[in-house]
Amino acid sequence: MSDTPRMDVLSRRIHLVTGKGGVGRTSLAAALAWAAAREGKRVLLTQIGDAEGGYSAIGRKFGRDQLTPDPEPLGPDGLRGCHVWATRGQEQFARSVIPAGPLIRAALNSKVLRKFATAVPSLHELGVFYHLLTLLEAQHEDGRPEHEVVVADMPATGQTLALTSLPDILLDALPDGPIPKAMRRGQAYLNDPAKTAAWVVTLPELLPVTEALELIDGLRATRVHPAGILLNRIPEDPFDADERRALSALLLEQPLHGSAAFHRIGVARAAEERLRSGTDLPIFPITEVPDADSPRTEAAIEPMLRDQLASFLS
Amino acid sequence: MTAPGLPELLAERRVLVVCGAGGVGKTTTSASLALAAARTGRRVLVITIDPSKRLAQTLGVSPDAPEPTVLAPERQEAVGIREPGCLSAWMLDPQAVADRTVRRLLSDAAAERLLNNRLYRNVSQVVAGMQEYAAVEALHGFVQDDRYDLVVLDTPPSRDALRFLDAPSRAGMFLDRRVLRVFVPGSENPIRKAATKMVETLLDLGLGAAAREELQHFITRFEQVLTYLNRNQVEMRRFFASREASFLLVASPAQEALEEAYYFETKTRELGLPFGGYVLNRSLDGTVGRPMPEEVTLAPDASPAVRSAIAKLSRLAVAERDRARRHQDLLEELGRRAGQGFALALPELPAGASDLEALVGLAGRLVGDTSLPLAV
Repeated sequence: MSDTPRMDVLSRRIHLVTGKGGVGRTSLAAALAWAAAREGKRVLLTQIGDAEGGYSAIGRKFGRDQLTPDPEPLGPDGLRGCHVWATRGQEQFARSVIPAGPLIRAALNSKVLRKFATAVPSLHELGVFYHLLTLLEAQHEDGRPEHEVVVADMPATGQTLALTSLPDILLDALPDGPIPKAMRRGQAYLNDPAKTAAWVVTLPELLPVTEALELIDGLRATRVHPAGILLNRIPEDPFDADERRALSALLLEQPLHGSAAFHRIGVARAAEERLRSGTDLPIFPITEVPDADSPRTEAAIEPMLRDQLASFLS
Repeated sequence: MTAPGLPELLAERRVLVVCGAGGVGKTTTSASLALAAARTGRRVLVITIDPSKRLAQTLGVSPDAPEPTVLAPERQEAVGIREPGCLSAWMLDPQAVADRTVRRLLSDAAAERLLNNRLYRNVSQVVAGMQEYAAVEALHGFVQDDRYDLVVLDTPPSRDALRFLDAPSRAGMFLDRRVLRVFVPGSENPIRKAATKMVETLLDLGLGAAAREELQHFITRFEQVLTYLNRNQVEMRRFFASREASFLLVASPAQEALEEAYYFETKTRELGLPFGGYVLNRSLDGTVGRPMPEEVTLAPDASPAVRSAIAKLSRLAVAERDRARRHQDLLEELGRRAGQGFALALPELPAGASDLEALVGLAGRLVGDTSLPLAV
């Protein structure tokens, strides 16, 4: 599509892929990371949170059931992946503030402290935040960053905003000390539009569009730059205006196989219009794989998403 | 013994907890369930802890209301709710629930100091699971409130919902006195004193001394609040496991939503919670018998637009017929998985069930009444 702007992915360090549950966030985060890696960048794909329930949703996009908190190769082109774990970040933070020796050993081995960490004020989010920061700052011996581009599959809307608002909250609660220092280091990335972009994933339906517009406001309130909207699963629309009119009248009288698809097309058109009138952000339309929930076509989805995202990058 | 179907659950239970992955229509389903029960004459409250506040829009309720809002009488009447039936809705505000508890438990001066503690001011963000504590605390109050016969609780996406079930044990962790004593000075025992000193040293390194003091104050005071909350949480945990409650699982035909639902079903059973059944949203199972577009007999004078539109629709129709058949199979599969529980399907509402009229149609489908129109 010629009027579609380019997704500026390669010049930024961090890409937060956000959106409410069920909009295809994980698939698009994986496809985005894949597309960036194909452009020659050293890319890290992460998912915020432990692989609960025994499997890793992003790992699965690359045929891996499990991923650990340590980056490991996910596929060709140097793409790597890991999970962002609160406990890992807490441990890293403790090591950074407590001198090596008996004190740090006591701290890391203490059951009491571990219990404290699972139960107390914002230590969970702090751990997540710090682990992400460590991944961003990791360098090769020659000073090049280990990962030039980090793509994060963020949790559902509420938790995403809890995480992006964490620095301001903690800076308010703890004006000085090592935590605010880490928060400011994180803010230097997260609140700089040249370094961090949030991509809002949504669907061409009315409620998801409303929620996407709310999420954009929420991100701006936490000073994270929303760079664009990925409008996912846009249904194929073969009809012209006359045909639409004729079918509307006919299907009202007599529902047929295909009625649901036809109605969805109408809803998608209305939702996209509403989205365009509600925001000036660039919108990247992603066409739906026809018959996407059929077991036959399931395998075709990932390659199609990758190709579509790759076309937005170049 | 036959397990209760959904109409029986709606008529007899006091709490229905609605769980499922994000984006499967949980909030809509919760509202429809509440509406269905209210239409049978029960006094129903629906609570959402979904931060999108969608239910507020649907039911015309303000998200900032400190108390549940009763649906306006003319709207109640319009959706077929008759006395004594009544529908109320409420958005959970965790900070408000916490503030109320603090004011009830502490003296004025102590409450004021805690309310001004910087950690406390962000308590819903800084205490892991505070939203869940607050939901359970609010539910505890509403279950004892004789204004309501039934409370329908909408939950965040399912992995969070599990955290909500875990909340009491987390609170237990927080309240482990052995843990807390170490963080709060005041012991005469020399070993404990030394431990406290070491922890203070660690926290001073991690947080800075001023913040450490504020944290100690917060922990000491908030512990009292959590002790109180925790008693109610333990009580509610028993309540959730009893026949007064039922857990309903919402899924859509998408593979990922189904996996979440199966995962949650297993968890519910592991935790010994009463599993009610499945609601399969966005199902085309009811359209299996529809004709194909090419089977329609067009009038001889039908316009070219109709003819070309029908031809194009035929391509979409093949895939849709296949989906309808798959959804029918899926519903049977869910029925098998549910065992004693129920499995029922709701149709896809292309515009989203954003108005009360659509909710009434869904509410009808939930209790097996297909006479109510669906706005499709």
